[in-house]
Amino acid sequence: MKIKFPTWLTVVGGTLALLIIPLIIFLPKAEASSKDPWAGVPEAEPHTDHTNLISGELETGQDVTRACLECHSDAGTEVMQTAHWTWESEPVTLPGRDEPVTIGKKNQINNFCIGIQGNWSSCTTCHIGYGWDDAEYFETATDEDVDCLVCHDQSGAYAKGINGNPLEGSDLLSAAKSVARPTRQNCGSCHFNGGGGNAVKHGDLDESLYWPSASIDVHMGEHDFQCIDCHQTADHNISGRSISVSVDNENQIYCTNCHSTDLHEDSRLNAHTDTVACQTCHIPQFAVEDPTKMEWDWSTAGQDIGDDPHTYLKIKGSFVYESNVQPQYMWYNGTADRYILGDTIDPDEVTAINQPLGDINDSTSLIFPFKVHEATQIYDVNYDYLIQPKTVGEGGYWVEFDWQLAAELGAEFTGLPYSGEYGWTQTVMYWPTTHMVQPTHEALQCVDCHGENGRLDWEALGYPGDPIDWGGRTTFFEN
Amino acid sequence: MKQKHLRLVAVGLIAAGLITIALGFSAQTAAAQSPLHPTFALLDADGEHVLETGNPVSTTNTCGQCHDTEFIASHNYHNDVGFSSLTEAGTTASGRSWDTSGGLFGKWDPITYRYLTPAGDHLADLSTEEWIQTYGLRHAGGGPADDAGVEINCFLCHLINPDNDSRIAALEASDFEWASTATLLDSEVVSISDGEYQWNEAAFDPQGEVLPAVIGIHDPTDDNCGLCHGTVHTEPETPLAISGCEDTGYTTSTTGQVITAQRIDDTGMNIQNKNELGFAWDVHIERRVECVDCHYSLNNPVYTSGSGSFSLEHLDYDPRRVELGEYIVQPMHDFARGESAQSTVSPETKGTIRRCEGCHNVENSHDWLPYIDTHMNAMLCESCHIPQIYNAATQQVDWTVVELDGTSQTACRGVEGDTGTINDLVTGYEPVLIQRQNLDGTLKLAPYNLITSWFWVHGEPERPVRLQDLEAVFLDGESYAADVVVFFDADGSGEIEAGELNLDTEEKAAFVAAKLEKLGLSSPRISAEVQPYSISHNVIEGQLATAECTACHSDESRVTQPIQLASYVPGDVIPVFVQDSNTLNHGDIYLEEDGSLYYQPDPQAEGMYVFGHDKVAWVDWFGAILFLGVLGGISTHGGIRVWYSIKRPQPKHKTKKIDIYTLYERIWHWLQTLSITILAFTGLIIHRPEMFGLFDFNGVVLVHNIVAGTLAVNAALALFYNLVSGDIQRFMPEPKGFFNQMMMQAKFYLGGIFKGEEHPFEKTRVKRLNVLQKITYLGILNVLLPLQGLTGILMWGVSRWPEYALKLGGLPFLAPFHTLVAWSFVSFIVAHVYLTTTGHTPMAGIKSMFVGWDEVEIHSGSHEEEE
Repeated sequence: MKIKFPTWLTVVGGTLALLIIPLIIFLPKAEASSKDPWAGVPEAEPHTDHTNLISGELETGQDVTRACLECHSDAGTEVMQTAHWTWESEPVTLPGRDEPVTIGKKNQINNFCIGIQGNWSSCTTCHIGYGWDDAEYFETATDEDVDCLVCHDQSGAYAKGINGNPLEGSDLLSAAKSVARPTRQNCGSCHFNGGGGNAVKHGDLDESLYWPSASIDVHMGEHDFQCIDCHQTADHNISGRSISVSVDNENQIYCTNCHSTDLHEDSRLNAHTDTVACQTCHIPQFAVEDPTKMEWDWSTAGQDIGDDPHTYLKIKGSFVYESNVQPQYMWYNGTADRYILGDTIDPDEVTAINQPLGDINDSTSLIFPFKVHEATQIYDVNYDYLIQPKTVGEGGYWVEFDWQLAAELGAEFTGLPYSGEYGWTQTVMYWPTTHMVQPTHEALQCVDCHGENGRLDWEALGYPGDPIDWGGRTTFFEN
Repeated sequence: MKQKHLRLVAVGLIAAGLITIALGFSAQTAAAQSPLHPTFALLDADGEHVLETGNPVSTTNTCGQCHDTEFIASHNYHNDVGFSSLTEAGTTASGRSWDTSGGLFGKWDPITYRYLTPAGDHLADLSTEEWIQTYGLRHAGGGPADDAGVEINCFLCHLINPDNDSRIAALEASDFEWASTATLLDSEVVSISDGEYQWNEAAFDPQGEVLPAVIGIHDPTDDNCGLCHGTVHTEPETPLAISGCEDTGYTTSTTGQVITAQRIDDTGMNIQNKNELGFAWDVHIERRVECVDCHYSLNNPVYTSGSGSFSLEHLDYDPRRVELGEYIVQPMHDFARGESAQSTVSPETKGTIRRCEGCHNVENSHDWLPYIDTHMNAMLCESCHIPQIYNAATQQVDWTVVELDGTSQTACRGVEGDTGTINDLVTGYEPVLIQRQNLDGTLKLAPYNLITSWFWVHGEPERPVRLQDLEAVFLDGESYAADVVVFFDADGSGEIEAGELNLDTEEKAAFVAAKLEKLGLSSPRISAEVQPYSISHNVIEGQLATAECTACHSDESRVTQPIQLASYVPGDVIPVFVQDSNTLNHGDIYLEEDGSLYYQPDPQAEGMYVFGHDKVAWVDWFGAILFLGVLGGISTHGGIRVWYSIKRPQPKHKTKKIDIYTLYERIWHWLQTLSITILAFTGLIIHRPEMFGLFDFNGVVLVHNIVAGTLAVNAALALFYNLVSGDIQRFMPEPKGFFNQMMMQAKFYLGGIFKGEEHPFEKTRVKRLNVLQKITYLGILNVLLPLQGLTGILMWGVSRWPEYALKLGGLPFLAPFHTLVAWSFVSFIVAHVYLTTTGHTPMAGIKSMFVGWDEVEIHSGSHEEEE
């Protein structure tokens, strides 16, 4: 039997089609806007609960690591390839030098606690290994010396002490059972405390980021990001870098990994992204909550004038801390020059430890915000180079308060001769500001840079004047 | 000769400066000292160096070394302030019988109250000297103050750090000739000790010229303007803090406008919902537009568009203009200005400003806005782009009483709480939209604050009661007079507290009047006026402007939103609008039950028709009656049919099945049905959006337009189909027997149908419409549908081809007409649907329109031929 298609269906279908098709064509399409902050972040695999996988006596850190290696047999050797372990970069060629050099905490100095050589026991508290107490460490250390717990412990029952060994009283079994993806607590335990305390080194990394409000950091505060959501990791190599120790532009993380550069509704703002880093507008201030160290004068150390961790310590000298600091702005192409131990200085000039590279004519450079840390630190008056003193332990300055002795002992470790006469010189270090991104409505406004009270020194940046009047580097200089 | 020589020097200096810049040796931002201004000697009134004479500096002579100060003084309403147009009292545009000019010097301001005594008055309030002492703080010197020794104060506007406080103090102390010198006190060049001014030699170079580091000269910045005009806040890092109703300068106090780039949520103020206000207070300031960028000197060659005072239609750019050098010698100090309601000085310079459209391209930025031209012709940009003032502003000034400190009872709008501290909650206010009479003859809505003042006047010609007389009535030294306390102390506390000092009863008013009479003032009476204050600053960023159509196009329209005038009415005197403002004020001033006074604008009474808000009431009434009438008619008819069918069974008629509608006809029909239903429904929403809050107005309008397009295309294609197929004849009533057939059909509907009689005419494919239907369809398809389409297209096209709409009466006619036709359509549909139930069974007609065939009665003796 032939089934006849009922004509009324044709009527209904035809009518509806004729009505709906024009509507579909002419009604505006809903814009597929992706404001999902997680859109650019790969989904993390759920972590296996290790509570029932770990058992037995765990006496030392190495015991824990051996237990880890039973299953994650490559993990130790992976970690040992990374800068978190080596504290030293691959050889890089710096401007004006013939030979490539390696740079890291291991062999270079900064203008905070200066250098680790001879001071290991204290400094290597933050090394992701166990037992670094001398220069020969890397010849003897094995993958069992890798400290898995500092990054993976979630019990809170684990902490590191001298030479990076577990602090007495750590509950290694609980810690081992609790392991999971690293959280802010894991990263922050070292990175928020760089330079010897909370908020000392980075102006944009401090303990306020453990549980920040949106007004401190929009990613972590409003959207609940963990560090490693941006610092994506492969084979234990964590992305991200800072020009204090890593002056090439490798392994970098960019805002544009997730965000588009033309996401502003106003085309004038999008036009800025060719010359201005996202951070410049979106991090109007660093050290939003906890004050950060801006100046450190070692020359005043050694006096019994009363200690206050934010202004003066007998062992370290005097400090200036500031909060809500307006960054300094410089052209920056992602690389930096680096003071290498033994480089001669002009003691009357301010020595830049890690001068950011870039200028207005370098099209890869962007105007970038920096924390600038100024220090007065010890140098050899006759050889004209910066000294790495011994501060920690026997004969160290923090014990004897004797710079002469500290300089002599330090020279034994660095191999850099000491003339016997020391003096004080000025240095600066640059810390790119990239965390503490503010909510959109806190970003800089036009007048913050342009106009009478603007925060940018256009002439210092190489412009003839405010580019709102004179044109930007592409318009002005090409005309 | 001397002038010419100086001019050459100036031009040379400028040229040298420009070359220097061009070579890139020196590049300055607008921030600091002018890069061009040379060092100069400070001369006194005799042209001698002040270091030699120790005399006060003369700006005319000092600045006159290069600039033509005489010219500057003669083109300068900031100095003149009405002085040159002084006239006989009572003859100014304000109509006040004691006003003698349109400017600060001679025009009364009920807020500041003190007034310049007209010549010949025996009761004196302010002499010229006293006027300088009182109003000098808002006057840049010169003009009326020249004779008293107050020269044009160039320093006030051109110094980077003028000492305005010392200037005002010098004026108040009648130290008139030292006023300009006092303005320099913040610099090292002069100091004061024991009232003696001392010029400081170290501030001058060996040639006697002031060292550039000592006095910084520059183009006026916002800070300079703010010294007299209101609150200017240029420090981005310092939170702005204004407390409640505090006096923050003329423009800020009268309107709430603040010149700052600061985000509202970054201020230190207690503003309601502050955390959601993460945008700049004033977008222009935020984007680095300064006061003088819009209020430029009228012969500044950078800004002005041509040489003459008129612009040539065929020229976009006129290169013939004052040379930069000439300008610097003779810069006009009349500045481009708008057409504010409150400022009536120097009327010839009004409307000289480059308005929003002078910089902004309206078409490019408003492509989302329907009826762009209509909107732009009806309102100023400010109406949408300044939707809210996030600050308090003066609302009412009550001078019928006086406070212990000699001030009026003043209250602000936009603030809750009366502690007068930063803790008062600033709610801000929505400016009232009032039509402005523009100089070009147009009328446009613009935002305003309204300030209402009550005050005593006396005598004939009328004069305001002087402050000293008012104080004599109320005060006795430092406290209220004993009889006043008795009268006003409502709670018997022995003191007059806040809230007690007002004329809320007739007795109190009579009491004060009697005391005034006792002072010799004849027939004292209370007068009251409303002064509109224009709001053109504090434009917020574009995305935040009013963009919701229903903000205006609804019952609760912004254009008729009332604004409170006062929280009480002193002496029950209802105020009237001032006569010299350029606004139309045909709205209603009315009292609320709580005794507060409101003004509700009525733009419809002023000839403005606001789509969606203004309705022609009879259209809806007529439409509703028509609709209900039809509904009532068919209900009655249907009821009778049902009643008859129950009462006596209907005879069965012999039927046959015929194909009656082609597929095309059926689709055509249902498409029209759906389109018209949707159009009626969306039209209703557009007509009464406030009743359908669920729907997005813009979306509904769009759907309405698209479906109208579908209907139009469908109708046009049907016309073609019917013409080509010849089917159109079916709609045509035949002349032969037309009247008879009509009567027969009507008779059937009115009688036979109830009894179950046969339809008078047999329905066939060709003759499926009876004669009544034919008439109806002729009306619908030839009259209603085209009218509805035409009015609809014209309304849609008002912004595209406004001239056509205007020919047909514009929106005020088209919109109600469209509504009227819509009512007719809806009524027709109801009747039409009902008539479909008159077939052999009630649902047969509808069913046939789906399936195409119907069972129709077979009439015996039918002459109709089957097709």
